[in-house]
Amino acid sequence: MRIRALLTFALLLALAGCGKKAGGKELVVFWQFFPAEQIGPVLDEFRKQNPGVDVQMEQLTWQSGLEKITAATAAGNVPDLCELGSTWFPRFAAQGALVDWTDSTAAMAQQMVLADMARVNGRSYGLPWAVGTRALFWNKALFARAGLDTTRGPENWDELLAAARKVNKLGGGIAGYGANAGERYVLFKKFMPYAWGNGGQLLTDDGKASAFDSPENVQALEFYLALAKAGRVDRQDQLDEAFMQGKLGAQISGAWLFRKIPKQAPDLAYGVALVPHPVGDRGTHASFAGGEILCSFKASKNPSGALKLARFLASRDAALMLARANQSVQPAVRGVESDAYYQQRPMERVLLDQLALAVPTPNHPAWLDMEAAIEDEVEKALYGKESAAQAVKAASARIDALAKNTDLSAK
Amino acid sequence: MSAVRRAGAPLFLVPVLLTMLVPFAWMLFLSVQPGAGGDLTLAALARARFTLEHYAALLQASGFPRYLVNSLVVAAVVVGGNVLTGAMVGYALARKSFFGRGALTWGVIATLMLPKQVLMIPLYLVLARLHLLDTYAALILPFFVDAFSIFLVRQYVTQLPAELEDAARVDGAGELRIFVTIVLPLLRPALAVVAINSFLLNWNSFLFPLIFTNSDRLRTLPVGLALFAQGEHAVDWGLLMAGSTISALPVLLAFLVFQRHIIEGITAGAEKG
Amino acid sequence: MSRRRRFEASTLFLLSPWIVSLLLFGLYPFGFSFALSFYDYSPLNPQSAKFLGLANYAEALRDPLFWTALKNTLIFVFGTIPFTTLLALGLALALQKRFRGRDFFRAGFFLPTVVSIVVISLVWKGLYAPEGFLSSLVRALGGTPPRWLLEPHTALASIMAMDVWAASGYYMVIFLAGLQAIPEELYESASLEGATPWQKFVHITLPMLRPTFLFVLVVNSVRSLQVFTEVFVMTGGGPLHSTLTSVFYLYEQAFYKFRLGYASSIAYLLFALTLGLAFLQVRWLKLESPRT
Repeated sequence: MRIRALLTFALLLALAGCGKKAGGKELVVFWQFFPAEQIGPVLDEFRKQNPGVDVQMEQLTWQSGLEKITAATAAGNVPDLCELGSTWFPRFAAQGALVDWTDSTAAMAQQMVLADMARVNGRSYGLPWAVGTRALFWNKALFARAGLDTTRGPENWDELLAAARKVNKLGGGIAGYGANAGERYVLFKKFMPYAWGNGGQLLTDDGKASAFDSPENVQALEFYLALAKAGRVDRQDQLDEAFMQGKLGAQISGAWLFRKIPKQAPDLAYGVALVPHPVGDRGTHASFAGGEILCSFKASKNPSGALKLARFLASRDAALMLARANQSVQPAVRGVESDAYYQQRPMERVLLDQLALAVPTPNHPAWLDMEAAIEDEVEKALYGKESAAQAVKAASARIDALAKNTDLSAK
Repeated sequence: MSAVRRAGAPLFLVPVLLTMLVPFAWMLFLSVQPGAGGDLTLAALARARFTLEHYAALLQASGFPRYLVNSLVVAAVVVGGNVLTGAMVGYALARKSFFGRGALTWGVIATLMLPKQVLMIPLYLVLARLHLLDTYAALILPFFVDAFSIFLVRQYVTQLPAELEDAARVDGAGELRIFVTIVLPLLRPALAVVAINSFLLNWNSFLFPLIFTNSDRLRTLPVGLALFAQGEHAVDWGLLMAGSTISALPVLLAFLVFQRHIIEGITAGAEKG
Repeated sequence: MSRRRRFEASTLFLLSPWIVSLLLFGLYPFGFSFALSFYDYSPLNPQSAKFLGLANYAEALRDPLFWTALKNTLIFVFGTIPFTTLLALGLALALQKRFRGRDFFRAGFFLPTVVSIVVISLVWKGLYAPEGFLSSLVRALGGTPPRWLLEPHTALASIMAMDVWAASGYYMVIFLAGLQAIPEELYESASLEGATPWQKFVHITLPMLRPTFLFVLVVNSVRSLQVFTEVFVMTGGGPLHSTLTSVFYLYEQAFYKFRLGYASSIAYLLFALTLGLAFLQVRWLKLESPRT
């Protein structure tokens, strides 16, 4: 009785929802993760400039958002435009779920800082929208107490290690350096900057074999282990907490702190620096790069509308609008450092400088397994189960097996 | 049982309770601290302040009242369904002899044994085919009949003496009449537990409401709270703790209301004098 | 006592909700996921699913992480259930008779169940932090606090402790209901024969409580075998896979590797184990009414 009425009502509702042309307007269904108050003004601007198009935005949660996109894809119930993180993106592209945008976004892609993020096997399956990197956050007050220079952050490995050790000796629950424990999808971003900075690599240029087992990577891991001993090892959110409580000398973290610190620790005296490079001439201030990519599914109902919206969102003005509101990401287009917003915020500009030197992860279909291999072995070294050399060798062997066994042709 | 004083609580319970409540004390504490920190250290206690800004932000947030109403409506309907169908099926499995009863009982228990991470996508496909996605039906129908409730009632009924039902049967009453007039009242404690459990599970249900609905107008409280308070790299602790406290109140209320039916001892048959 | 062995109309009616629900929302998901376990299936690319026969199952049985996850899951189950059950039963017995403020005590012990497990896990993660409240407490008592979630040999135990805390109130309520089904006159006639409280407990309460006890045991086992959210929020399976559980592992396979077929095979292996364990528990406690 009640069930039948409910079912009928539901069916009527569903039928009423059908029909993508509401009042003569074209409809673009857009799934994304930014809070409504940040993306709202950007979408309003789009609607103003495109009166014939209506955007139906749905905000996804970071918790289980991927499950939702996956379930929708399995059922063919996909949005027109979707935001995918750079870690998830290669899988979606490699499995043939996304529309090939190589030709339609060629011009825009040239203006992007990390256009390769959206490329798999030489073809572009999305448009980079917002990017993020990691830099060194250091505590000025603790550095001062330890008698260190507070005008600039540590420049190279020796300076960082010395600073970490001095701050670590201050006692009272204060730690010098915050190293990440074996946290999936995170540890990698905190260790590899040192490896890349030292000239280390992951894969050979053709992507068919591992180039991970190298003296540069072993040195980087030994350095990382030394840093961990001069501080503490914990998960990222705990390290951020400790940093904001003024109990951590330095750590590698990201732009989300620019949002959190004013709210939670407005009196914190801190600085941001590029990730230190090895001593001497060799090496760079490398860091990890990732971001959000706009893409459209092959099963979408309105692919042309999706492309129109994507082009707008990734354009300089719209992306800047979002980046200013969000603070945790930067636009993917080049040249935004000249904008007044970044001119007034030197610390956020450091992130932009870091981006120019940042390295994206290879868009290899087996990348997540390779990343897991690195994280597993680094974790074992952190807990003293392996030496740095053994860990690098073991990780390299696993990466090599994955590189050789994976069929690189897109399905 | 042990001879307990009618006046006050057994003394040993008090420290046990206080220990149990420590995490909640922290939750409440964090919900009234300014900023968004997840600082659960003694230092945080030392610099404690007080603000209701998180509660205010949530209650004024657009959509929040809507999410509350959605959660209430859906939970109420599902609880009603679980209580009714749990009683019906549980009683039948416990008392009625029929071919395949053992298999059906094990079938009920077995449906609890597959994790929802695996069931999620096929269930989504079913709802998609039935065109029920993004409707209230998607939030209600798959959960209307619940294996846990059935199993609980079944176990409870096997503990009940069957004399009252048999006497009524001898008197010539029909089976359904016996069910409604005799069995259902006796099932009150079990149904109270079913109500509490169903309300609780449904109220806090996150994954299925998230993936089965898209529109903001259908959103339930846990999903709304996650949208506000859980970012990619950072959790807004103040908002999350405040939201969780607000969210806990209806469940607590439901508990206090329903658990009154779990009273001390029944005197089955004694009322007959 | 006439009990006909054919289906009565009333029986069919009483069973109908379950039958309908099973047909709509039970059989398809179960059948689909069971079938998937024999395929190489990615939800992103459903059309190119490949039939693999038993290859997924074979791979799972050869996969060292599958066995690590299984081992951790079993430690979790057998390590928490005795404590949760005893604590729940104890609390129920203490809160059975009426006394002033009893309802508030009941509510207080039930409180951990009321809040979402995600939030509970987050709060406990903070409590377990190296400078967190629990460590401070240990230091105040003069000891050196363990590193809780950061050490391979304490991480799982830390999660287990939290789980016992979170779950006992829930099962306490179920025991309360079960205790109520025991007729008062049994206790009264025992008192007339001069039985002590302990004797009443052992010879009346425990036997009469058997079906409830079995329920708690089975449900607790099923839920514990599927432990996921706590691991997801607090440790992500680490450190060094010491908190990797079966459902967490299959979740990674399904949603990070998009190998839903492989994940399904793990799920069904877990299912078989769960069913087997329930079977043993029923055998041990005998699934009939004690009043034969």
